[in-house]
Amino acid sequence: MAALAPRIHEAPDDLLAAIDYCYEQGWTDGLPVVPPAVDRVKAMLIADRRSPETVIARHPATGLDLSLHAAAVNAVMAGCLPEYFPVIVAAFEAMDRPDFNFHGSTASTGGSAPLLIVSGPYADGIGMNADVNLFGPGNRANATIGRAVRLILRNVFQMLPGISDKSTQGNPGKYSFCIAERARGNPWPLLCEAQGYGKGVSSVTAYAGGGFCNVENHGGNTPEQVLGSVADAMANYGCITLGQTVVILAPEHMLIVADAGWTREKAQDFLFSQAKRPVEGMQGVGKYREREYDAQHGAGAHRLAETGFMHRGLGPEDILITMGGGDAGGHSCFIPSWSRGRGSIMQHAAIAIPADKRS
Amino acid sequence: MQLYSPLSTTPKRKAFRAPALASIAGLRIGILENGKLNAEEMLNEVAALFVERNGCTVRTLASKKNASAPAPGNTLVTVAQEVDFLITGLGD
Repeated sequence: MAALAPRIHEAPDDLLAAIDYCYEQGWTDGLPVVPPAVDRVKAMLIADRRSPETVIARHPATGLDLSLHAAAVNAVMAGCLPEYFPVIVAAFEAMDRPDFNFHGSTASTGGSAPLLIVSGPYADGIGMNADVNLFGPGNRANATIGRAVRLILRNVFQMLPGISDKSTQGNPGKYSFCIAERARGNPWPLLCEAQGYGKGVSSVTAYAGGGFCNVENHGGNTPEQVLGSVADAMANYGCITLGQTVVILAPEHMLIVADAGWTREKAQDFLFSQAKRPVEGMQGVGKYREREYDAQHGAGAHRLAETGFMHRGLGPEDILITMGGGDAGGHSCFIPSWSRGRGSIMQHAAIAIPADKRS
Repeated sequence: MQLYSPLSTTPKRKAFRAPALASIAGLRIGILENGKLNAEEMLNEVAALFVERNGCTVRTLASKKNASAPAPGNTLVTVAQEVDFLITGLGD
Protein backbone atom coordinates (compact mmCIF):
# COMPACT_ATOMS: atom_id res chain seq x y z
CA MET A 1 0.00 0.00 0.00
CA ALA A 2 1.41 3.39 -0.98
CA ALA A 3 2.55 5.69 1.80
CA LEU A 4 0.44 8.70 2.61
CA ALA A 5 1.82 12.18 2.02
CA PRO A 6 3.49 13.60 5.14
CA ARG A 7 0.95 15.63 7.07
CA ILE A 8 1.59 19.32 7.66
CA HIS A 9 0.44 20.99 10.87
CA GLU A 10 -0.24 24.71 11.15
CA ALA A 11 1.45 25.69 14.41
CA PRO A 12 1.83 29.13 15.99
CA ASP A 13 4.60 31.29 14.51
CA ASP A 14 5.88 32.09 17.98
CA LEU A 15 8.70 29.64 18.65
CA LEU A 16 7.81 28.97 22.28
CA ALA A 17 4.20 28.44 21.33
CA ALA A 18 5.33 26.04 18.59
CA ILE A 19 7.34 24.07 21.16
CA ASP A 20 4.24 23.90 23.33
CA TYR A 21 2.30 22.73 20.27
CA CYS A 22 4.73 19.80 19.90
CA TYR A 23 4.15 18.90 23.53
CA GLU A 24 0.41 18.99 23.01
CA GLN A 25 0.70 16.59 20.09
CA GLY A 26 2.56 14.04 22.26
CA TRP A 27 5.65 14.21 20.05
CA THR A 28 8.34 14.62 22.71
CA ASP A 29 10.43 12.49 25.03
CA GLY A 30 9.56 14.84 27.86
CA LEU A 31 12.13 17.45 26.89
CA PRO A 32 11.40 20.34 24.53
CA VAL A 33 11.93 19.59 20.85
CA VAL A 34 12.92 21.77 17.94
CA PRO A 35 9.69 22.35 16.00
CA PRO A 36 10.08 20.41 12.72
CA ALA A 37 9.57 23.34 10.39
CA VAL A 38 9.28 22.41 6.73
CA ASP A 39 12.46 24.17 5.61
CA ARG A 40 14.55 22.52 8.34
CA VAL A 41 13.29 19.06 7.37
CA LYS A 42 14.12 19.70 3.72
CA ALA A 43 17.62 20.78 4.72
CA MET A 44 18.04 17.56 6.69
CA LEU A 45 16.95 15.46 3.72
CA ILE A 46 19.72 16.89 1.54
CA ALA A 47 22.09 14.65 3.49
CA ASP A 48 20.62 11.58 1.75
CA ARG A 49 20.13 11.68 -1.99
CA ARG A 50 17.46 9.02 -2.14
CA SER A 51 13.77 9.77 -2.45
CA PRO A 52 12.29 10.96 0.89
CA GLU A 53 9.72 8.15 0.60
CA THR A 54 12.47 5.52 0.74
CA VAL A 55 11.71 3.08 3.55
CA ILE A 56 14.77 2.32 5.70
CA ALA A 57 13.17 0.25 8.47
CA ARG A 58 9.89 -1.47 9.30
CA HIS A 59 8.52 -2.38 12.69
CA PRO A 60 7.83 -6.12 12.54
CA ALA A 61 4.87 -6.09 14.91
CA THR A 62 3.01 -2.93 13.93
CA GLY A 63 3.98 -2.88 10.26
CA LEU A 64 4.81 0.82 10.53
CA ASP A 65 7.47 2.05 8.11
CA LEU A 66 10.28 4.49 8.72
CA SER A 67 10.84 6.63 5.65
CA LEU A 68 13.77 8.95 5.18
CA HIS A 69 11.29 11.80 5.48
CA ALA A 70 9.98 10.70 8.87
CA ALA A 71 13.53 10.09 10.06
CA ALA A 72 14.46 13.62 9.02
CA VAL A 73 11.49 15.16 10.83
CA ASN A 74 12.48 13.45 14.07
CA ALA A 75 16.16 14.29 13.57
CA VAL A 76 15.22 17.97 13.34
CA MET A 77 13.13 17.65 16.49
CA ALA A 78 16.06 16.04 18.33
CA GLY A 79 18.32 18.97 17.44
CA CYS A 80 20.47 17.20 14.83
CA LEU A 81 22.46 18.97 12.14
CA PRO A 82 22.10 17.60 8.59
CA GLU A 83 25.59 16.06 8.70
CA TYR A 84 24.44 13.78 11.53
CA PHE A 85 21.66 12.31 9.41
CA PRO A 86 23.73 9.56 7.68
CA VAL A 87 24.53 8.11 11.10
CA ILE A 88 20.84 7.88 12.01
CA VAL A 89 20.03 6.28 8.66
CA ALA A 90 22.80 3.69 9.02
CA ALA A 91 21.70 2.93 12.57
CA PHE A 92 18.15 2.14 11.49
CA GLU A 93 19.33 0.12 8.51
CA ALA A 94 21.32 -1.97 10.98
CA MET A 95 18.48 -2.27 13.48
CA ASP A 96 16.05 -3.26 10.74
CA ARG A 97 17.71 -6.66 10.38
CA PRO A 98 15.64 -9.45 11.94
CA ASP A 99 18.41 -10.58 14.29
CA PHE A 100 18.36 -7.21 16.05
CA ASN A 101 14.75 -7.91 16.98
CA PHE A 102 13.37 -4.44 16.76
CA HIS A 103 10.09 -5.25 18.41
CA GLY A 104 11.35 -7.18 21.41
CA SER A 105 14.15 -4.80 22.21
CA THR A 106 11.86 -1.78 22.20
CA ALA A 107 8.80 -3.29 23.86
CA SER A 108 10.21 -5.57 26.53
CA THR A 109 10.10 -5.14 30.29
CA GLY A 110 13.90 -5.37 30.08
CA GLY A 111 14.03 -1.65 29.32
CA SER A 112 16.73 -1.66 26.70
CA ALA A 113 17.99 1.36 24.80
CA PRO A 114 19.72 1.09 21.44
CA LEU A 115 23.38 1.92 22.04
CA LEU A 116 25.07 3.35 18.95
CA ILE A 117 28.85 3.16 18.61
CA VAL A 118 30.13 5.26 15.73
CA SER A 119 33.51 4.14 14.43
CA GLY A 120 35.82 5.70 11.86
CA PRO A 121 36.66 9.12 10.50
CA TYR A 122 33.07 10.30 10.13
CA ALA A 123 32.74 10.48 13.91
CA ASP A 124 35.50 13.07 14.09
CA GLY A 125 34.21 14.74 10.96
CA ILE A 126 30.92 15.64 12.61
CA GLY A 127 32.50 16.48 15.95
CA MET A 128 31.41 13.49 17.99
CA ASN A 129 32.83 12.92 21.43
CA ALA A 130 34.92 9.81 22.08
CA ASP A 131 36.79 11.35 24.98
CA VAL A 132 36.09 12.86 28.41
CA ASN A 133 32.56 12.29 29.70
CA LEU A 134 31.95 9.82 26.90
CA PHE A 135 28.43 8.81 27.92
CA GLY A 136 27.63 12.15 29.52
CA PRO A 137 26.14 15.38 28.28
CA GLY A 138 27.81 18.21 26.44
CA ASN A 139 28.28 17.09 22.84
CA ARG A 140 25.60 17.97 20.34
CA ALA A 141 26.23 15.12 17.91
CA ASN A 142 26.29 12.37 20.52
CA ALA A 143 23.29 13.75 22.37
CA THR A 144 21.04 14.50 19.43
CA ILE A 145 21.79 11.42 17.29
CA GLY A 146 20.87 9.21 20.24
CA ARG A 147 17.84 11.34 20.96
CA ALA A 148 16.69 11.11 17.35
CA VAL A 149 16.68 7.32 17.67
CA ARG A 150 14.40 7.58 20.69
CA LEU A 151 12.05 10.06 19.01
CA ILE A 152 11.79 7.82 15.96
CA LEU A 153 10.97 4.83 18.15
CA ARG A 154 8.31 6.91 19.87
CA ASN A 155 6.77 8.84 17.02
CA VAL A 156 7.23 6.62 13.99
CA PHE A 157 7.05 3.18 15.55
CA GLN A 158 4.70 4.21 18.35
CA MET A 159 6.72 2.56 21.09
CA LEU A 160 4.98 4.54 23.80
CA PRO A 161 5.95 4.16 27.47
CA GLY A 162 3.34 2.18 29.35
CA ILE A 163 1.42 1.25 26.21
CA SER A 164 3.70 -0.51 23.76
CA ASP A 165 7.00 0.08 25.58
CA LYS A 166 6.59 -1.97 28.74
CA SER A 167 9.99 -1.32 30.33
CA THR A 168 9.82 -2.14 34.01
CA GLN A 169 12.31 0.57 34.92
CA GLY A 170 13.86 1.60 31.60
CA ASN A 171 17.31 3.12 31.73
CA PRO A 172 18.72 6.64 31.28
CA GLY A 173 20.06 5.67 27.86
CA LYS A 174 16.50 5.72 26.61
CA TYR A 175 16.87 9.50 26.28
CA SER A 176 20.08 9.12 24.27
CA PHE A 177 22.74 6.41 24.09
CA CYS A 178 25.28 7.25 21.41
CA ILE A 179 29.07 7.40 21.55
CA ALA A 180 32.03 7.54 19.22
CA GLU A 181 34.84 5.02 19.40
CA ARG A 182 38.06 6.73 20.41
CA ALA A 183 40.61 6.57 17.58
CA ARG A 184 43.22 8.78 19.23
CA GLY A 185 45.70 6.54 21.00
CA ASN A 186 43.70 3.39 20.30
CA PRO A 187 46.19 0.52 19.92
CA TRP A 188 43.71 -1.85 18.34
CA PRO A 189 42.10 -1.79 14.90
CA LEU A 190 38.99 0.39 14.94
CA LEU A 191 35.69 -1.43 14.95
CA CYS A 192 34.94 -0.33 11.38
CA GLU A 193 38.19 -2.00 10.26
CA ALA A 194 37.54 -5.14 12.31
CA GLN A 195 34.05 -5.27 10.79
CA GLY A 196 35.64 -5.43 7.34
CA TYR A 197 34.77 -2.03 5.91
CA GLY A 198 37.16 -0.44 3.45
CA LYS A 199 39.60 2.31 4.17
CA GLY A 200 37.88 5.55 5.06
CA VAL A 201 34.49 3.92 5.55
CA SER A 202 32.90 4.57 8.93
CA SER A 203 30.33 2.38 10.60
CA VAL A 204 27.71 2.43 13.28
CA THR A 205 27.12 -0.52 15.57
CA ALA A 206 23.67 -0.87 17.13
CA TYR A 207 23.27 -2.86 20.32
CA ALA A 208 20.24 -3.33 22.55
CA GLY A 209 21.86 -2.14 25.76
CA GLY A 210 20.31 -3.12 29.05
CA GLY A 211 21.97 -0.47 31.19
CA PHE A 212 25.39 0.76 32.21
CA CYS A 213 27.80 -0.69 34.75
CA ASN A 214 30.87 1.29 35.79
CA VAL A 215 33.98 -0.87 36.35
CA GLU A 216 36.37 0.89 38.70
CA ASN A 217 39.89 -0.40 39.10
CA HIS A 218 42.67 2.00 40.06
CA GLY A 219 44.94 -0.59 41.60
CA GLY A 220 45.26 -3.24 38.91
CA ASN A 221 48.30 -2.95 36.68
CA THR A 222 48.19 -6.15 34.66
CA PRO A 223 45.72 -7.20 31.96
CA GLU A 224 44.54 -10.03 34.18
CA GLN A 225 43.76 -7.65 37.03
CA VAL A 226 42.03 -5.01 34.92
CA LEU A 227 40.08 -7.44 32.77
CA GLY A 228 39.43 -9.64 35.78
CA SER A 229 37.40 -6.84 37.33
CA VAL A 230 35.56 -6.34 34.03
CA ALA A 231 34.79 -10.06 33.83
CA ASP A 232 33.45 -10.04 37.36
CA ALA A 233 31.07 -7.20 36.47
CA MET A 234 29.96 -9.11 33.38
CA ALA A 235 29.13 -12.17 35.43
CA ASN A 236 27.52 -10.65 38.51
CA TYR A 237 24.41 -12.59 39.42
CA GLY A 238 22.17 -9.70 38.50
CA CYS A 239 23.60 -9.40 35.00
CA ILE A 240 24.80 -12.81 33.91
CA THR A 241 22.86 -14.29 31.01
CA LEU A 242 23.76 -15.89 27.70
CA GLY A 243 23.44 -12.49 26.03
CA GLN A 244 26.12 -10.41 24.34
CA THR A 245 28.41 -7.84 25.93
CA VAL A 246 29.86 -4.42 25.18
CA VAL A 247 32.97 -3.32 27.08
CA ILE A 248 34.38 0.19 26.67
CA LEU A 249 37.85 0.28 28.15
CA ALA A 250 39.08 3.56 29.58
CA PRO A 251 42.40 4.68 28.05
CA GLU A 252 44.20 3.98 31.34
CA HIS A 253 42.95 0.42 31.34
CA MET A 254 43.59 -0.01 27.62
CA LEU A 255 47.18 1.11 28.11
CA ILE A 256 47.75 -1.64 30.67
CA VAL A 257 46.17 -4.27 28.44
CA ALA A 258 47.78 -3.26 25.15
CA ASP A 259 51.22 -2.48 26.57
CA ALA A 260 51.35 -6.10 27.68
CA GLY A 261 50.86 -7.10 24.05
CA TRP A 262 47.26 -8.19 24.34
CA THR A 263 45.16 -8.04 21.17
CA ARG A 264 41.42 -7.56 21.09
CA GLU A 265 41.02 -11.28 20.44
CA LYS A 266 43.13 -12.23 23.43
CA ALA A 267 41.14 -9.89 25.64
CA GLN A 268 37.88 -11.37 24.34
CA ASP A 269 39.13 -14.89 25.08
CA PHE A 270 40.14 -13.89 28.58
CA LEU A 271 36.86 -12.15 29.37
CA PHE A 272 34.81 -15.06 28.11
CA SER A 273 36.83 -17.58 30.10
CA GLN A 274 36.53 -15.54 33.31
CA ALA A 275 32.98 -14.19 33.10
CA LYS A 276 31.19 -17.17 34.57
CA ARG A 277 29.38 -18.40 37.66
CA PRO A 278 29.09 -21.93 39.05
CA VAL A 279 25.83 -23.78 38.48
CA GLU A 280 25.32 -24.07 42.25
CA GLY A 281 25.55 -20.32 42.58
CA MET A 282 23.12 -19.80 39.74
CA GLN A 283 20.76 -22.24 41.39
CA GLY A 284 21.22 -20.38 44.65
CA VAL A 285 19.80 -17.19 43.20
CA GLY A 286 17.11 -19.06 41.27
CA LYS A 287 18.43 -18.16 37.82
CA TYR A 288 19.65 -21.52 36.62
CA ARG A 289 17.66 -23.34 34.02
CA GLU A 290 18.59 -26.84 32.98
CA ARG A 291 19.83 -26.91 29.40
CA GLU A 292 19.44 -23.12 29.03
CA TYR A 293 21.95 -23.14 26.18
CA ASP A 294 19.76 -25.51 24.19
CA ALA A 295 16.62 -23.51 24.93
CA GLN A 296 18.25 -20.35 23.60
CA HIS A 297 20.33 -21.71 20.80
CA GLY A 298 18.85 -24.99 19.66
CA ALA A 299 19.49 -28.63 20.41
CA GLY A 300 23.13 -29.42 20.92
CA ALA A 301 24.20 -25.98 22.09
CA HIS A 302 24.59 -27.32 25.61
CA ARG A 303 27.91 -28.85 24.62
CA LEU A 304 29.25 -25.31 24.47
CA ALA A 305 28.92 -24.95 28.20
CA GLU A 306 31.78 -25.66 30.58
CA THR A 307 30.74 -28.40 32.95
CA GLY A 308 29.56 -26.91 36.21
CA PHE A 309 29.59 -23.31 35.01
CA MET A 310 27.49 -20.83 33.11
CA HIS A 311 29.44 -18.28 31.09
CA ARG A 312 28.26 -14.90 29.91
CA GLY A 313 27.49 -15.27 26.19
CA LEU A 314 28.17 -18.17 23.88
CA GLY A 315 31.76 -17.39 23.01
CA PRO A 316 34.47 -14.72 22.90
CA GLU A 317 33.03 -13.21 19.73
CA ASP A 318 29.94 -12.23 21.71
CA ILE A 319 32.03 -9.57 23.45
CA LEU A 320 32.63 -6.23 21.71
CA ILE A 321 35.59 -4.38 23.22
CA THR A 322 36.94 -1.01 22.30
CA MET A 323 38.29 2.16 23.91
CA GLY A 324 36.59 5.36 24.93
CA GLY A 325 36.64 8.08 27.53
CA GLY A 326 39.11 10.57 28.95
CA ASP A 327 42.78 9.96 29.61
CA ALA A 328 42.48 10.12 33.38
CA GLY A 329 40.71 7.58 35.54
CA GLY A 330 40.45 3.84 35.91
CA HIS A 331 36.79 3.74 34.93
CA SER A 332 35.75 1.38 32.19
CA CYS A 333 32.24 0.11 31.66
CA PHE A 334 30.30 -3.01 30.86
CA ILE A 335 26.97 -2.76 29.08
CA PRO A 336 24.86 -5.92 29.23
CA SER A 337 22.69 -6.92 26.35
CA TRP A 338 18.99 -6.54 26.95
CA SER A 339 18.59 -10.07 25.61
CA ARG A 340 19.22 -13.05 27.84
CA GLY A 341 20.33 -15.08 24.85
CA ARG A 342 19.96 -14.75 21.10
CA GLY A 343 16.92 -12.48 21.40
CA SER A 344 18.87 -9.55 20.00
CA ILE A 345 22.20 -9.66 18.22
CA MET A 346 24.21 -6.49 17.67
CA GLN A 347 24.36 -5.25 14.08
CA HIS A 348 26.52 -2.81 12.18
CA ALA A 349 26.20 -0.86 8.95
CA ALA A 350 28.36 1.46 6.90
CA ILE A 351 27.66 5.17 7.07
CA ALA A 352 26.89 6.26 3.53
CA ILE A 353 28.08 9.77 2.80
CA PRO A 354 26.95 11.63 -0.33
CA ALA A 355 29.83 11.88 -2.83
CA ASP A 356 30.03 15.67 -2.62
CA LYS A 357 30.36 15.51 1.16
CA ARG A 358 33.34 13.16 1.20
CA SER A 359 36.63 14.72 2.14
CA MET B 1 4.69 28.06 11.22
CA GLN B 2 4.24 24.91 9.16
CA LEU B 3 5.47 21.72 10.84
CA TYR B 4 5.79 18.26 9.39
CA SER B 5 4.20 15.48 11.38
CA PRO B 6 6.86 13.14 12.85
CA LEU B 7 4.58 10.10 12.59
CA SER B 8 4.86 7.24 10.12
CA THR B 9 3.16 7.76 6.81
CA THR B 10 2.30 4.06 6.54
CA PRO B 11 -1.45 3.70 5.98
CA LYS B 12 -3.15 2.14 8.99
CA ARG B 13 -3.55 -1.60 8.60
CA LYS B 14 -7.04 -2.93 8.88
CA ALA B 15 -7.12 -5.45 11.69
CA PHE B 16 -10.02 -7.72 12.46
CA ARG B 17 -10.73 -9.74 15.54
CA ALA B 18 -11.78 -13.33 15.01
CA PRO B 19 -15.45 -13.84 15.80
CA ALA B 20 -16.07 -14.98 19.36
CA LEU B 21 -16.63 -18.70 19.78
CA ALA B 22 -20.25 -19.54 20.57
CA SER B 23 -19.08 -22.27 22.94
CA ILE B 24 -15.78 -23.78 23.92
CA ALA B 25 -17.23 -27.13 24.91
CA GLY B 26 -15.27 -29.96 23.29
CA LEU B 27 -13.07 -27.71 21.18
CA ARG B 28 -9.46 -28.35 20.17
CA ILE B 29 -6.85 -26.27 21.96
CA GLY B 30 -3.46 -25.19 20.67
CA ILE B 31 -0.70 -23.97 22.96
CA LEU B 32 1.90 -21.47 21.80
CA GLU B 33 4.68 -21.30 24.35
CA ASN B 34 7.37 -18.65 24.07
CA GLY B 35 10.38 -20.50 25.44
CA LYS B 36 10.61 -18.48 28.63
CA LEU B 37 11.09 -20.04 32.01
CA ASN B 38 7.86 -21.79 33.10
CA ALA B 39 5.90 -20.81 29.98
CA GLU B 40 5.13 -24.38 28.94
CA GLU B 41 4.28 -25.42 32.49
CA MET B 42 1.91 -22.48 33.01
CA LEU B 43 0.16 -22.93 29.67
CA ASN B 44 -0.25 -26.66 30.22
CA GLU B 45 -1.91 -25.91 33.54
CA VAL B 46 -4.29 -23.48 31.86
CA ALA B 47 -5.06 -25.97 29.11
CA ALA B 48 -5.73 -28.66 31.73
CA LEU B 49 -8.48 -26.49 33.19
CA PHE B 50 -10.16 -26.25 29.77
CA VAL B 51 -9.89 -30.03 29.42
CA GLU B 52 -11.33 -30.61 32.86
CA ARG B 53 -14.10 -28.04 32.80
CA ASN B 54 -15.05 -27.89 29.13
CA GLY B 55 -14.11 -31.24 27.66
CA CYS B 56 -11.53 -29.68 25.36
CA THR B 57 -8.63 -31.60 23.86
CA VAL B 58 -5.07 -30.35 23.55
CA ARG B 59 -3.98 -30.87 19.97
CA THR B 60 -0.86 -28.83 19.38
CA LEU B 61 2.08 -27.45 21.29
CA ALA B 62 3.93 -24.90 19.22
CA SER B 63 7.04 -23.10 20.40
CA LYS B 64 8.74 -19.84 19.61
CA LYS B 65 12.52 -19.81 19.78
CA ASN B 66 12.53 -16.08 20.39
CA ALA B 67 10.10 -15.04 23.10
CA SER B 68 9.97 -11.40 22.11
CA ALA B 69 9.67 -11.75 18.35
CA PRO B 70 6.35 -12.31 16.61
CA ALA B 71 5.53 -15.97 15.97
CA PRO B 72 6.64 -17.06 12.50
CA GLY B 73 3.81 -16.88 9.99
CA ASN B 74 4.06 -20.56 9.06
CA THR B 75 3.72 -21.55 12.71
CA LEU B 76 0.43 -19.68 12.98
CA VAL B 77 -0.86 -21.01 9.66
CA THR B 78 -0.11 -24.60 10.69
CA VAL B 79 -1.62 -24.25 14.13
CA ALA B 80 -4.74 -22.52 12.80
CA GLN B 81 -5.57 -25.57 10.70
CA GLU B 82 -5.40 -27.94 13.64
CA VAL B 83 -7.11 -26.15 16.49
CA ASP B 84 -10.20 -24.10 17.31
CA PHE B 85 -8.48 -21.71 19.68
CA LEU B 86 -4.98 -20.96 20.84
CA ILE B 87 -3.70 -20.00 24.27
CA THR B 88 -0.45 -18.20 24.78
CA GLY B 89 1.22 -16.13 27.45
CA LEU B 90 4.47 -15.19 29.14
CA GLY B 91 6.16 -17.53 31.52
CA ASP B 92 8.39 -15.23 33.55
